[in-house]
Amino acid sequence: MSAYEELVRRYQDLAYRTAFLVVRDAEEARDAAQEGFLSAHRALGRFRVGAEFRPWLLRIVANAARNRRRSASRRAALALRAGRDPASGDAAPSPEAALLAAEQRATLMAAINSLREDDQLVIGLRWFAELGEAEMAEVLGRPRGTVKSRLSRAMARLREVLERLEEDLSNG
Amino acid sequence: MADQHLSPLEMRLAELSAFIDVPATPPLASALADRLRAEAGLRPSWRWPLPSVGRGTALAVAATLLLVSAVAAIGIALGGLRLIFNPESLPPLPSIPNQPGIGQQTTLDAARSSVGFVLRVPTVSALGEPDQVYVMEPPAGGAVTLVYGARPGYPLQPDRMYGLVLTQFRADIQAENFEKLIMEGVRITHTNVHGLPAYWVAGGEHFFFYRDATGQIVNTTLRLVGDTLIWEEDGVTHRVEGAPSLQAAIAVAESLEPAPSGE
Repeated sequence: MSAYEELVRRYQDLAYRTAFLVVRDAEEARDAAQEGFLSAHRALGRFRVGAEFRPWLLRIVANAARNRRRSASRRAALALRAGRDPASGDAAPSPEAALLAAEQRATLMAAINSLREDDQLVIGLRWFAELGEAEMAEVLGRPRGTVKSRLSRAMARLREVLERLEEDLSNG
Repeated sequence: MADQHLSPLEMRLAELSAFIDVPATPPLASALADRLRAEAGLRPSWRWPLPSVGRGTALAVAATLLLVSAVAAIGIALGGLRLIFNPESLPPLPSIPNQPGIGQQTTLDAARSSVGFVLRVPTVSALGEPDQVYVMEPPAGGAVTLVYGARPGYPLQPDRMYGLVLTQFRADIQAENFEKLIMEGVRITHTNVHGLPAYWVAGGEHFFFYRDATGQIVNTTLRLVGDTLIWEEDGVTHRVEGAPSLQAAIAVAESLEPAPSGE
């Protein structure tokens, strides 16, 4: 196995997930991730001494994904995976608890999807791609401080929307 | 994301992550290998592989990349390259999985006769004869890999069946680029072998990239079995991999002598 192929295998899940969060389309995300890996391979000579590979790669993948997002006609909303609770282990929750948890997840998902796209993206990168602030800054092409404040504002808006949704639900 | 100071909303988001419907990652590595091969001038094939691409195909593609790298290292035009590697006929290599590019197993004498450079072998008494010898061609001139099992002072690497691997092939290492492109967390120690510049590459990631004399990026897996000493001598690049220490690797390196004729 070549070294670069091994690198691709190591980072392809993260790259694809990141691209998907940007473009919200499986085929576009696949193309963006592959394009990103190809661009990174061509740019290896410009890889800065001492830099970390992962954020550098993510930035290239995200650029490819952003270019595709601009040309995409529409983006699908984030959705919840159907089927069994992927986190459930031996101690399965009671049916009532599982139902409540599922409802809470659906409400949170709906709240996220009601946010504007910029907010959804910054929340998705932080919590669903599990990127740190420095990597988010690379992906978004913004200074770290800007990303931090954008995330903070997005979270505040999410909290506000979520509280409103949950209040509506509790009022029946 | 094990942060003990998450707010309730952050905890809910962290938990939600496992439920987000992100499609399964497509086989990017094999698709990329195909496209890189196309870019390298081999059979153009700008397409996605069929979903039914199997492990054999993936290995073949990976092997092709390795061959492309080796050929690029000596600056041979790729257009007329004939790929002779066939993963289905690989000899069993239980300790070096996913490393199909080391070639076909042969004898030391046959390897000595077949390569276009002076093949050298360690004369450290503890090593003795190699347990296995592999020749890969292309590149023109060949690349030879000598594999040694456990020896006194050269224990098996964890999870490996072999203790030391010595590879020799014709290529030019340019120190500036070699160092520039070392990846993530690798410790490089400058040293020398017979007074020639050498590098001890230890720890961290197992990858390295360097440019060949034509300016092309050459990529290969640096470590087959462990930390690696790499140097160039008489136009031949040498890699000693898996020695337990830099001193042990240098002892092997400086003991190299032309392989004796078996006649």
